[in-house]
Amino acid sequence: MKNKVLMGLAAITMVAFLSSCGKVPQEKVDATNAAIAAAQTAEAAVYVPVEFAAVQDSMKAINAAIEVQNSKLFKKFGPITIKLDETLAAANKVAADAAVKKEEVKKEVEGLMTGIKAVLEENTGLMKKAPRGKEGAAVLEQIKTETATIEASVVEAQAMYDKGAYMDALNKVKAANDRAVGINTELKEAIAKVRR
Amino acid sequence: MRANRRDLLLFSAIAVSIPLIVILLIRFTPVPPAEEVEFAMEAISRAEKDRADTYSKRLYTEAKAYYDSAMANWQMQNTRFIYFRDYERVLMFATMSIEKAELAAESSISSTSSFEVRVKQKIDTLNELVSKINKLFTTYPLTPETRNRISNGKMLLKEAEIIYRKGQYLQANMKITDSEYLLTNSYENATSNLKDYFKSYSVWKNWVTKTINDSRKNRNYSIIIDKFSRKCIVYQNGNKKFEFTAELGKNWVGDKRVKGDKATPEGMYKVTKKIDGRSTKYYKALLIDYPNDEDKEKFKKEIVQGSLPTSAKIGNLIEIHGNGGKGIDWTDGCIALTDREMDSVFKYAKVGTPVTIVGSMVEFENIVNR
Repeated sequence: MKNKVLMGLAAITMVAFLSSCGKVPQEKVDATNAAIAAAQTAEAAVYVPVEFAAVQDSMKAINAAIEVQNSKLFKKFGPITIKLDETLAAANKVAADAAVKKEEVKKEVEGLMTGIKAVLEENTGLMKKAPRGKEGAAVLEQIKTETATIEASVVEAQAMYDKGAYMDALNKVKAANDRAVGINTELKEAIAKVRR
Repeated sequence: MRANRRDLLLFSAIAVSIPLIVILLIRFTPVPPAEEVEFAMEAISRAEKDRADTYSKRLYTEAKAYYDSAMANWQMQNTRFIYFRDYERVLMFATMSIEKAELAAESSISSTSSFEVRVKQKIDTLNELVSKINKLFTTYPLTPETRNRISNGKMLLKEAEIIYRKGQYLQANMKITDSEYLLTNSYENATSNLKDYFKSYSVWKNWVTKTINDSRKNRNYSIIIDKFSRKCIVYQNGNKKFEFTAELGKNWVGDKRVKGDKATPEGMYKVTKKIDGRSTKYYKALLIDYPNDEDKEKFKKEIVQGSLPTSAKIGNLIEIHGNGGKGIDWTDGCIALTDREMDSVFKYAKVGTPVTIVGSMVEFENIVNR
């Protein structure tokens, strides 16, 4: 009887020993994947691409590490759980940083939009003050055409802004602003020359 | 006592055999290619940093696909009983992923740098074209459509420059392609239009040669106006004495045809009157004999041919005068100089001084290629 008990204990010990040592922390894996997906939705790849790539790399490493443990007889997910916590926090930070950066770009676009409208308005005033000889002349025609192109660009940038594509809007409005400022300088120089 | 010894023996046998079995179990567990998979992941990450996802897309996609296959295979093997697992294919996919990722990174680096150079070259070339267009056509009357296309081309070029500075060469190149099409096309159209303007060049050249030769032969002063270059050149005994910037009529392209067309005439004229003081509102003026017989003949011919209405009148009172220096073409057909320059011209010119007005003293090809 005593022998049987001992044998049984030994078998239980062995089974427990062999099947021991943890499971994949699936809840944490899911939570981290969800946080990365949220960061992607927050356009982290556009606004904080380097940081977002680092988080993605980190998750890839975790997936590989999970498989390493799954390949073992005795699994140990403790360090992976810690890494998952870190990656989850990093993903959340990246999402937050992306939102902040997006807001900054949005504000920059808004600022440039306001600025360009002011420059275009000033240009309209300057065109009235421009030398009479400019009326109907090629130079004035060119300025008018360029102003129309700038205005069209501003409309396009506004449409991009409305769609939330702030980075594209920023590129467009920056180019338009450069051109508007260029015309402003040209007009001021022409007026100054006539006054001399 | 004997039974106790037997139990002890049995217990000892179990105690020794368990670790032994465990050691044997571990010893014969298949080992996954974790290191290779890690290398593959790092190689893909490096390729991404080298922008292989943009500049070496095919190789990069292949590397990623092999990596995903390695991971999927690994996961699949891990679902099998531990001693039946086979990681050969995992290793194969991981190795191929490494190879492709390294190739992708290498190819991306080389194509990025050459692409960057190419995009920069294109930007520089187009900026040169824009300068050329500005130089040749700012004051040249182009069609609204051409002006519009040039303007759009310039805007796209500006956008391309901004995107290029952010290191997004592929997107910059797309903008450049559109800009290049608009600018090149417009430039070619405008140049062909300008070529028409130069069709009288051989006549202008003869007038200029004759004017300079006469100045040399008669040892006197003569004035040549080059409309395209906006120059007023004073010759003394056939040699250039002064060169000033001239401002012309608002519609300076082509010959003057009719009164009020605000065009500056082309032809060989003479000063008929020197005007200063209160007799002119333009500081000082040299009246020329426009229209001369040739102009009158040409005007009559146009009336007869019907290219001008019978009510049309030929213009007159074309002068070289002061009040210039505005930097634009503003006169009704006269040639304007600054008051200071007018003083010099006025000083040397007298009644009878030849004034030759030409479309250009420089050949079309030289103007386009200078």
